Amino acid sequence: MSTLNYIRFWGVRGSFPAPFGSHLRVGGNTCCVELRVDDHVLICDGGSGIIPLGNNLMGQQDIKEVLVMMTHYHWDHISGLPFFVPAFVPGWKVNFFGPGENEQEIERRISEQMVDPYFPVEIEMWMADIRYKLLKNGQINYGPFVIETFNVHHPGSTYGYRILVHGKTIIYVSDNELGFIDGTIENRKEELEPREFEMIKQMQQEEHDKAVEVIEGAHVLIHDAQYTPEDYAKKRGWGHSCYIDTVNFGVDARVKQLYLYHADPTYNDFKIEEIHRECVKIVHERNASVECHIAREGMIIDIDQL
Amino acid sequence: MAGEDDKKPLVVVVDDSATSISLYQFSVEKLPIEFKGFKSPADAYPYLQEYRPDLLFLDIIMPGMDGLKFLRRLRALPIQKDTPVVMVTSKDYAQDRTVAKQLGALDFMIKPLRFQEIRDTICKYISIEPIDSNNT
Repeated sequence: MSTLNYIRFWGVRGSFPAPFGSHLRVGGNTCCVELRVDDHVLICDGGSGIIPLGNNLMGQQDIKEVLVMMTHYHWDHISGLPFFVPAFVPGWKVNFFGPGENEQEIERRISEQMVDPYFPVEIEMWMADIRYKLLKNGQINYGPFVIETFNVHHPGSTYGYRILVHGKTIIYVSDNELGFIDGTIENRKEELEPREFEMIKQMQQEEHDKAVEVIEGAHVLIHDAQYTPEDYAKKRGWGHSCYIDTVNFGVDARVKQLYLYHADPTYNDFKIEEIHRECVKIVHERNASVECHIAREGMIIDIDQL
Repeated sequence: MAGEDDKKPLVVVVDDSATSISLYQFSVEKLPIEFKGFKSPADAYPYLQEYRPDLLFLDIIMPGMDGLKFLRRLRALPIQKDTPVVMVTSKDYAQDRTVAKQLGALDFMIKPLRFQEIRDTICKYISIEPIDSNNT
Protein backbone atom coordinates (compact mmCIF):
# COMPACT_ATOMS: atom_id res chain seq x y z
CA MET A 1 0.00 0.00 0.00
CA SER A 2 1.24 3.45 -0.93
CA THR A 3 1.79 5.75 2.05
CA LEU A 4 1.91 8.98 0.09
CA ASN A 5 -1.40 10.62 -0.77
CA TYR A 6 -0.81 12.93 -3.68
CA ILE A 7 -1.86 14.93 -6.70
CA ARG A 8 0.30 14.36 -9.76
CA PHE A 9 0.24 16.28 -13.03
CA TRP A 10 0.53 13.97 -16.04
CA GLY A 11 -0.52 16.52 -18.66
CA VAL A 12 -0.78 20.29 -18.31
CA ARG A 13 -1.20 21.61 -21.86
CA GLY A 14 -4.43 22.77 -23.38
CA SER A 15 -5.60 22.44 -26.98
CA PHE A 16 -2.95 20.08 -28.41
CA PRO A 17 0.22 18.31 -27.26
CA ALA A 18 3.46 20.29 -27.33
CA PRO A 19 6.32 17.76 -27.44
CA PHE A 20 8.95 20.37 -28.17
CA GLY A 21 12.36 20.71 -26.56
CA SER A 22 11.57 24.32 -25.70
CA HIS A 23 8.45 23.27 -23.75
CA LEU A 24 9.59 20.35 -21.66
CA ARG A 25 10.26 22.05 -18.32
CA VAL A 26 6.51 22.66 -18.22
CA GLY A 27 5.57 19.57 -20.21
CA GLY A 28 3.97 18.64 -23.50
CA ASN A 29 1.04 16.33 -22.73
CA THR A 30 -2.58 17.51 -22.65
CA CYS A 31 -4.83 17.55 -19.59
CA CYS A 32 -4.59 14.76 -17.04
CA VAL A 33 -4.22 14.94 -13.27
CA GLU A 34 -4.06 11.96 -10.91
CA LEU A 35 -5.19 12.04 -7.29
CA ARG A 36 -4.04 8.99 -5.36
CA VAL A 37 -5.35 8.66 -1.81
CA ASP A 38 -5.52 5.51 0.34
CA ASP A 39 -4.78 3.51 -2.81
CA HIS A 40 -7.78 4.92 -4.64
CA VAL A 41 -7.04 6.62 -7.93
CA LEU A 42 -9.10 9.48 -9.26
CA ILE A 43 -8.13 10.83 -12.67
CA CYS A 44 -9.21 14.23 -13.93
CA ASP A 45 -9.44 14.19 -17.75
CA GLY A 46 -8.07 11.78 -20.32
CA GLY A 47 -5.80 13.94 -22.47
CA SER A 48 -2.52 12.53 -23.74
CA GLY A 49 -1.16 12.63 -20.18
CA ILE A 50 -3.34 9.65 -19.29
CA ILE A 51 -1.17 7.43 -21.51
CA PRO A 52 1.95 7.48 -19.28
CA LEU A 53 -0.34 7.37 -16.24
CA GLY A 54 -1.92 4.16 -17.56
CA ASN A 55 1.53 2.67 -18.17
CA ASN A 56 2.54 3.66 -14.62
CA LEU A 57 -0.56 1.96 -13.21
CA MET A 58 0.28 -1.22 -15.11
CA GLY A 59 3.61 -1.31 -13.29
CA GLN A 60 2.05 -1.82 -9.87
CA GLN A 61 -0.15 -4.48 -8.28
CA ASP A 62 -2.07 -2.77 -5.45
CA ILE A 63 -4.61 -0.86 -7.49
CA LYS A 64 -6.90 -2.36 -10.14
CA GLU A 65 -9.64 0.23 -10.27
CA VAL A 66 -9.78 3.92 -11.26
CA LEU A 67 -12.37 6.64 -11.73
CA VAL A 68 -11.79 8.89 -14.76
CA MET A 69 -13.73 12.15 -14.59
CA MET A 70 -14.02 14.13 -17.79
CA THR A 71 -14.65 17.86 -17.56
CA HIS A 72 -15.92 17.70 -21.15
CA TYR A 73 -15.12 15.84 -24.35
CA HIS A 74 -12.89 18.12 -26.40
CA TRP A 75 -9.89 16.37 -27.93
CA ASP A 76 -7.31 17.66 -25.46
CA HIS A 77 -9.33 15.91 -22.72
CA ILE A 78 -10.05 12.54 -24.39
CA SER A 79 -7.22 11.89 -26.85
CA GLY A 80 -5.29 9.65 -24.46
CA LEU A 81 -8.17 7.27 -23.79
CA PRO A 82 -7.59 5.02 -26.84
CA PHE A 83 -4.10 4.33 -25.44
CA PHE A 84 -5.05 3.96 -21.76
CA VAL A 85 -3.80 0.43 -21.19
CA PRO A 86 -5.76 -0.51 -18.00
CA ALA A 87 -9.02 -0.23 -19.98
CA PHE A 88 -7.86 -3.06 -22.25
CA VAL A 89 -6.85 -5.46 -19.48
CA PRO A 90 -9.23 -8.01 -17.90
CA GLY A 91 -9.28 -7.75 -14.12
CA TRP A 92 -9.22 -3.94 -14.15
CA LYS A 93 -12.27 -1.79 -13.45
CA VAL A 94 -12.46 1.63 -15.09
CA ASN A 95 -15.26 3.99 -14.07
CA PHE A 96 -16.05 7.02 -16.20
CA PHE A 97 -17.95 10.16 -15.33
CA GLY A 98 -18.57 13.35 -17.27
CA PRO A 99 -21.28 15.66 -18.59
CA GLY A 100 -24.23 13.68 -19.93
CA GLU A 101 -27.87 12.95 -19.22
CA ASN A 102 -27.34 9.24 -18.60
CA GLU A 103 -24.77 6.42 -18.79
CA GLN A 104 -25.42 5.81 -22.49
CA GLU A 105 -24.71 9.43 -23.36
CA ILE A 106 -21.42 9.43 -21.44
CA GLU A 107 -20.44 6.17 -23.14
CA ARG A 108 -21.32 7.52 -26.57
CA ARG A 109 -19.31 10.68 -26.05
CA ILE A 110 -16.25 8.78 -24.89
CA SER A 111 -16.44 6.05 -27.51
CA GLU A 112 -17.15 8.02 -30.66
CA GLN A 113 -13.48 8.88 -31.21
CA MET A 114 -12.68 5.15 -31.26
CA VAL A 115 -14.46 4.17 -34.48
CA ASP A 116 -13.34 3.41 -37.99
CA PRO A 117 -11.78 5.23 -39.83
CA TYR A 118 -10.44 7.37 -36.96
CA PHE A 119 -9.07 4.53 -34.84
CA PRO A 120 -8.62 0.81 -35.55
CA VAL A 121 -9.85 -0.42 -32.17
CA GLU A 122 -13.33 0.22 -30.79
CA ILE A 123 -14.32 0.27 -27.12
CA GLU A 124 -15.59 -3.29 -27.49
CA MET A 125 -11.90 -4.17 -27.13
CA TRP A 126 -11.83 -2.62 -23.66
CA MET A 127 -11.65 -5.85 -21.66
CA ALA A 128 -11.72 -4.16 -18.27
CA ASP A 129 -14.98 -3.86 -16.38
CA ILE A 130 -16.11 -0.49 -17.77
CA ARG A 131 -18.74 1.47 -15.84
CA TYR A 132 -20.34 4.85 -16.40
CA LYS A 133 -21.28 6.71 -13.27
CA LEU A 134 -23.92 9.33 -12.56
CA LEU A 135 -24.27 11.83 -9.74
CA LYS A 136 -26.23 10.69 -6.69
CA ASN A 137 -27.71 13.53 -4.65
CA GLY A 138 -25.42 15.91 -6.51
CA GLN A 139 -22.26 13.98 -5.61
CA ILE A 140 -20.05 11.08 -6.48
CA ASN A 141 -18.54 9.13 -3.63
CA TYR A 142 -15.47 7.13 -4.59
CA GLY A 143 -13.35 5.63 -1.83
CA PRO A 144 -12.15 8.55 0.30
CA PHE A 145 -13.20 11.10 -2.35
CA VAL A 146 -16.40 13.12 -2.38
CA ILE A 147 -16.79 14.91 -5.70
CA GLU A 148 -19.20 17.69 -6.65
CA THR A 149 -19.59 19.32 -10.05
CA PHE A 150 -20.28 22.90 -11.10
CA ASN A 151 -20.84 24.50 -14.50
CA VAL A 152 -18.13 26.68 -16.00
CA HIS A 153 -17.77 29.08 -18.92
CA HIS A 154 -16.67 26.94 -21.85
CA PRO A 155 -18.45 25.77 -25.00
CA GLY A 156 -21.02 23.04 -24.38
CA SER A 157 -21.61 21.41 -21.01
CA THR A 158 -18.34 21.62 -19.11
CA TYR A 159 -17.79 20.80 -15.47
CA GLY A 160 -15.48 22.05 -12.79
CA TYR A 161 -14.83 19.59 -9.99
CA ARG A 162 -14.78 20.20 -6.25
CA ILE A 163 -13.03 17.27 -4.64
CA LEU A 164 -13.06 16.72 -0.88
CA VAL A 165 -10.56 14.24 0.52
CA HIS A 166 -8.83 13.81 3.89
CA GLY A 167 -10.31 17.11 5.01
CA LYS A 168 -8.78 18.95 2.03
CA THR A 169 -10.59 20.73 -0.80
CA ILE A 170 -9.13 20.44 -4.27
CA ILE A 171 -10.72 22.32 -7.14
CA TYR A 172 -10.09 21.25 -10.74
CA VAL A 173 -11.18 23.69 -13.46
CA SER A 174 -9.32 22.83 -16.63
CA ASP A 175 -11.24 25.10 -19.01
CA ASN A 176 -13.05 28.25 -17.94
CA GLU A 177 -13.30 31.75 -19.35
CA LEU A 178 -13.41 34.01 -16.32
CA GLY A 179 -13.40 37.38 -18.02
CA PHE A 180 -16.10 37.07 -20.66
CA ILE A 181 -18.89 39.08 -19.05
CA ASP A 182 -16.47 41.77 -17.82
CA GLY A 183 -15.36 42.32 -21.41
CA THR A 184 -18.92 42.43 -22.73
CA ILE A 185 -19.92 45.02 -20.14
CA GLU A 186 -16.80 47.06 -20.84
CA ASN A 187 -17.57 47.02 -24.59
CA ARG A 188 -21.14 48.19 -24.05
CA LYS A 189 -20.46 50.66 -21.23
CA GLU A 190 -20.98 53.75 -23.34
CA GLU A 191 -24.44 52.75 -24.51
CA LEU A 192 -25.87 51.83 -21.09
CA GLU A 193 -28.22 54.12 -19.20
CA PRO A 194 -27.11 54.92 -15.63
CA ARG A 195 -29.80 52.70 -14.07
CA GLU A 196 -28.90 49.85 -16.44
CA PHE A 197 -25.22 50.26 -15.73
CA GLU A 198 -25.82 50.16 -11.99
CA MET A 199 -27.92 46.99 -12.19
CA ILE A 200 -25.54 45.30 -14.60
CA LYS A 201 -22.55 46.07 -12.37
CA GLN A 202 -24.50 44.60 -9.46
CA MET A 203 -25.25 41.48 -11.52
CA GLN A 204 -21.57 41.20 -12.48
CA GLN A 205 -20.57 41.39 -8.81
CA GLU A 206 -23.19 38.80 -7.89
CA GLU A 207 -21.92 36.39 -10.57
CA HIS A 208 -18.35 36.92 -9.42
CA ASP A 209 -19.26 36.35 -5.76
CA LYS A 210 -21.08 33.15 -6.63
CA ALA A 211 -18.12 31.83 -8.63
CA VAL A 212 -15.77 32.70 -5.76
CA GLU A 213 -18.04 31.02 -3.22
CA VAL A 214 -17.64 27.65 -4.97
CA ILE A 215 -13.84 27.66 -4.59
CA GLU A 216 -13.45 29.81 -1.47
CA GLY A 217 -10.71 28.69 0.88
CA ALA A 218 -9.73 25.67 -1.23
CA HIS A 219 -6.40 24.09 -0.41
CA VAL A 220 -5.62 23.65 -4.10
CA LEU A 221 -7.07 25.37 -7.15
CA ILE A 222 -5.98 23.96 -10.52
CA HIS A 223 -7.30 26.47 -13.05
CA ASP A 224 -7.14 27.41 -16.72
CA ALA A 225 -4.62 30.24 -17.25
CA GLN A 226 -4.05 29.77 -20.96
CA TYR A 227 -3.54 33.27 -22.32
CA THR A 228 -1.56 36.45 -21.94
CA PRO A 229 -3.72 39.61 -22.05
CA GLU A 230 -2.59 40.21 -25.66
CA ASP A 231 -3.66 36.74 -26.78
CA TYR A 232 -6.86 36.85 -24.76
CA ALA A 233 -7.86 40.01 -26.61
CA LYS A 234 -7.62 38.03 -29.85
CA LYS A 235 -9.22 34.88 -28.47
CA ARG A 236 -11.99 36.23 -26.31
CA GLY A 237 -14.95 33.85 -26.47
CA TRP A 238 -12.79 30.76 -26.97
CA GLY A 239 -13.58 29.55 -23.44
CA HIS A 240 -10.21 30.12 -21.73
CA SER A 241 -8.87 32.56 -19.20
CA CYS A 242 -6.22 35.21 -19.22
CA TYR A 243 -3.75 34.47 -16.41
CA ILE A 244 -4.49 37.87 -14.79
CA ASP A 245 -8.14 36.88 -14.30
CA THR A 246 -7.08 33.48 -12.96
CA VAL A 247 -4.69 34.81 -10.36
CA ASN A 248 -7.15 37.47 -9.22
CA PHE A 249 -9.84 34.80 -8.95
CA GLY A 250 -7.57 32.69 -6.74
CA VAL A 251 -6.72 35.71 -4.59
CA ASP A 252 -10.39 36.74 -4.26
CA ALA A 253 -11.26 33.21 -3.15
CA ARG A 254 -8.31 33.06 -0.73
CA VAL A 255 -7.21 29.67 -1.99
CA LYS A 256 -4.07 28.27 -0.42
CA GLN A 257 -2.30 27.10 -3.57
CA LEU A 258 -3.02 28.03 -7.18
CA TYR A 259 -1.70 25.98 -10.12
CA LEU A 260 -1.68 27.72 -13.50
CA TYR A 261 -3.01 25.02 -15.83
CA HIS A 262 -4.06 24.33 -19.44
CA ALA A 263 -0.95 26.07 -20.74
CA ASP A 264 -1.08 27.33 -24.28
CA PRO A 265 0.85 24.86 -26.47
CA THR A 266 2.50 27.70 -28.37
CA TYR A 267 4.06 29.12 -25.20
CA ASN A 268 7.55 27.87 -24.42
CA ASP A 269 9.03 27.42 -20.95
CA PHE A 270 10.45 30.94 -20.80
CA LYS A 271 7.11 32.50 -21.65
CA ILE A 272 5.25 30.46 -19.04
CA GLU A 273 7.87 31.26 -16.43
CA GLU A 274 7.43 34.93 -17.28
CA ILE A 275 3.65 34.54 -16.84
CA HIS A 276 4.33 32.93 -13.49
CA ARG A 277 6.49 35.86 -12.37
CA GLU A 278 3.70 38.25 -13.34
CA CYS A 279 1.20 36.21 -11.33
CA VAL A 280 3.45 36.20 -8.25
CA LYS A 281 3.77 39.97 -8.64
CA ILE A 282 -0.01 40.35 -8.68
CA VAL A 283 -0.30 38.22 -5.54
CA HIS A 284 2.28 40.45 -3.80
CA GLU A 285 0.63 43.66 -5.00
CA ARG A 286 -2.64 42.46 -3.55
CA ASN A 287 -0.91 41.57 -0.32
CA ALA A 288 -2.33 38.07 -0.56
CA SER A 289 -0.98 34.78 0.69
CA VAL A 290 -1.83 32.53 -2.28
CA GLU A 291 1.07 30.28 -3.27
CA CYS A 292 1.10 30.49 -7.05
CA HIS A 293 2.73 27.71 -9.09
CA ILE A 294 3.08 26.63 -12.68
CA ALA A 295 1.44 23.21 -13.09
CA ARG A 296 4.35 21.20 -14.47
CA GLU A 297 4.18 17.69 -15.88
CA GLY A 298 5.51 15.24 -13.28
CA MET A 299 4.95 17.61 -10.35
CA ILE A 300 3.64 15.95 -7.20
CA ILE A 301 1.71 17.64 -4.36
CA ASP A 302 1.51 15.85 -1.02
CA ILE A 303 -2.17 16.11 -0.06
CA ASP A 304 -1.59 15.48 3.64
CA GLN A 305 0.91 18.35 3.82
CA LEU A 306 -1.55 20.91 2.46
CA MET B 1 -52.81 28.12 -17.21
CA ALA B 2 -51.29 31.17 -15.54
CA GLY B 3 -52.75 34.44 -16.62
CA GLU B 4 -56.17 32.84 -17.06
CA ASP B 5 -57.76 35.51 -14.81
CA ASP B 6 -56.70 38.49 -16.86
CA LYS B 7 -55.46 36.66 -19.98
CA LYS B 8 -52.18 38.56 -19.92
CA PRO B 9 -49.35 36.76 -21.69
CA LEU B 10 -47.07 34.95 -19.29
CA VAL B 11 -43.32 35.61 -19.41
CA VAL B 12 -41.06 33.43 -17.25
CA VAL B 13 -37.36 33.92 -16.48
CA VAL B 14 -35.07 31.29 -14.97
CA ASP B 15 -31.78 32.86 -13.90
CA ASP B 16 -29.68 32.25 -10.80
CA SER B 17 -28.88 35.95 -10.45
CA ALA B 18 -31.40 37.83 -8.31
CA THR B 19 -30.20 41.10 -9.87
CA SER B 20 -30.76 39.68 -13.31
CA ILE B 21 -34.35 38.81 -12.44
CA SER B 22 -34.83 42.34 -11.04
CA LEU B 23 -33.48 43.71 -14.29
CA TYR B 24 -36.15 41.83 -16.24
CA GLN B 25 -38.78 42.87 -13.74
CA PHE B 26 -37.83 46.52 -14.06
CA SER B 27 -37.79 46.27 -17.87
CA VAL B 28 -41.27 44.79 -18.17
CA GLU B 29 -43.03 46.90 -15.54
CA LYS B 30 -45.08 48.76 -18.11
CA LEU B 31 -45.75 45.88 -20.44
CA PRO B 32 -49.18 44.21 -20.30
CA ILE B 33 -47.78 40.85 -19.26
CA GLU B 34 -47.64 38.58 -16.25
CA PHE B 35 -44.05 38.03 -15.09
CA LYS B 36 -42.57 35.19 -13.06
CA GLY B 37 -38.91 34.82 -12.09
CA PHE B 38 -37.21 31.69 -10.71
CA LYS B 39 -33.69 31.42 -9.37
CA SER B 40 -33.03 27.84 -10.43
CA PRO B 41 -34.34 25.06 -12.67
CA ALA B 42 -35.27 23.15 -9.51
CA ASP B 43 -37.49 26.05 -8.37
CA ALA B 44 -39.01 26.54 -11.81
CA TYR B 45 -39.68 22.92 -12.73
CA PRO B 46 -42.80 22.28 -10.60
CA TYR B 47 -44.34 25.51 -11.94
CA LEU B 48 -43.44 24.67 -15.54
CA GLN B 49 -44.95 21.23 -15.22
CA GLU B 50 -48.25 23.03 -14.84
CA TYR B 51 -48.01 26.30 -16.73
CA ARG B 52 -46.89 27.03 -20.26
CA PRO B 53 -45.31 30.48 -20.63
CA ASP B 54 -45.88 32.55 -23.74
CA LEU B 55 -42.16 33.25 -23.60
CA LEU B 56 -39.47 31.67 -21.47
CA PHE B 57 -36.04 33.24 -20.89
CA LEU B 58 -33.46 30.67 -19.77
CA ASP B 59 -30.00 31.44 -18.43
CA ILE B 60 -27.35 28.90 -19.42
CA ILE B 61 -24.74 28.95 -16.65
CA MET B 62 -26.49 28.10 -13.40
CA PRO B 63 -25.41 25.98 -10.45
CA GLY B 64 -26.67 22.43 -10.66
CA MET B 65 -28.44 21.98 -13.95
CA ASP B 66 -27.43 24.31 -16.79
CA GLY B 67 -30.03 26.01 -18.95
CA LEU B 68 -29.52 23.82 -22.01
CA LYS B 69 -29.89 20.64 -20.01
CA PHE B 70 -32.98 22.12 -18.37
CA LEU B 71 -34.48 22.97 -21.74
CA ARG B 72 -33.93 19.39 -22.88
CA ARG B 73 -35.81 18.21 -19.80
CA LEU B 74 -38.61 20.73 -20.38
CA ARG B 75 -39.04 19.65 -24.00
CA ALA B 76 -39.87 16.18 -22.70
CA LEU B 77 -42.95 17.64 -20.98
CA PRO B 78 -45.89 17.69 -23.40
CA ILE B 79 -46.92 21.11 -22.08
CA GLN B 80 -43.50 22.61 -22.92
CA LYS B 81 -42.70 20.81 -26.14
CA ASP B 82 -43.10 23.93 -28.27
CA THR B 83 -42.87 26.76 -25.71
CA PRO B 84 -41.08 29.78 -27.22
CA VAL B 85 -37.70 29.96 -25.50
CA VAL B 86 -34.90 32.53 -25.55
CA MET B 87 -31.53 31.44 -24.19
CA VAL B 88 -29.63 34.15 -22.31
CA THR B 89 -26.02 33.74 -21.34
CA SER B 90 -22.81 35.41 -20.37
CA LYS B 91 -20.90 33.00 -22.65
CA ASP B 92 -21.21 33.15 -26.41
CA TYR B 93 -20.06 29.91 -27.98
CA ALA B 94 -21.11 28.47 -31.34
CA GLN B 95 -21.61 25.01 -29.84
CA ASP B 96 -24.15 26.36 -27.33
CA ARG B 97 -25.98 28.21 -30.09
CA THR B 98 -26.21 24.98 -32.10
CA VAL B 99 -27.56 22.98 -29.16
CA ALA B 100 -30.05 25.76 -28.33
CA LYS B 101 -31.27 25.74 -31.92
CA GLN B 102 -31.59 21.95 -31.93
CA LEU B 103 -33.75 22.26 -28.83
CA GLY B 104 -35.99 24.75 -30.61
CA ALA B 105 -34.84 27.97 -28.90
CA LEU B 106 -35.95 30.99 -30.90
CA ASP B 107 -33.14 33.28 -29.92
CA PHE B 108 -29.78 33.43 -28.16
CA MET B 109 -28.94 36.61 -26.29
CA ILE B 110 -25.73 37.68 -24.62
CA LYS B 111 -25.64 39.28 -21.18
CA PRO B 112 -25.75 42.03 -20.16
CA LEU B 113 -29.22 42.70 -21.57
CA ARG B 114 -30.51 46.23 -21.80
CA PHE B 115 -34.03 47.14 -20.66
CA GLN B 116 -35.11 47.94 -24.20
CA GLU B 117 -33.65 44.70 -25.57
CA ILE B 118 -35.72 42.71 -23.11
CA ARG B 119 -38.86 44.62 -24.02
CA ASP B 120 -38.19 44.36 -27.75
CA THR B 121 -37.64 40.62 -27.47
CA ILE B 122 -40.88 40.12 -25.59
CA CYS B 123 -42.80 42.24 -28.09
CA LYS B 124 -41.18 40.40 -30.98
CA TYR B 125 -42.23 36.94 -29.81
CA ILE B 126 -45.62 37.68 -28.27
CA SER B 127 -48.14 39.94 -29.86
CA ILE B 128 -48.02 43.11 -27.81
CA GLU B 129 -47.25 46.65 -28.81
CA PRO B 130 -43.63 47.70 -28.28
CA ILE B 131 -42.86 50.64 -26.01
CA ASP B 132 -39.67 52.63 -26.33
CA SER B 133 -37.12 53.60 -23.70
CA ASN B 134 -38.62 57.09 -23.31
CA ASN B 135 -41.52 55.46 -21.55
CA THR B 136 -39.44 53.83 -18.83
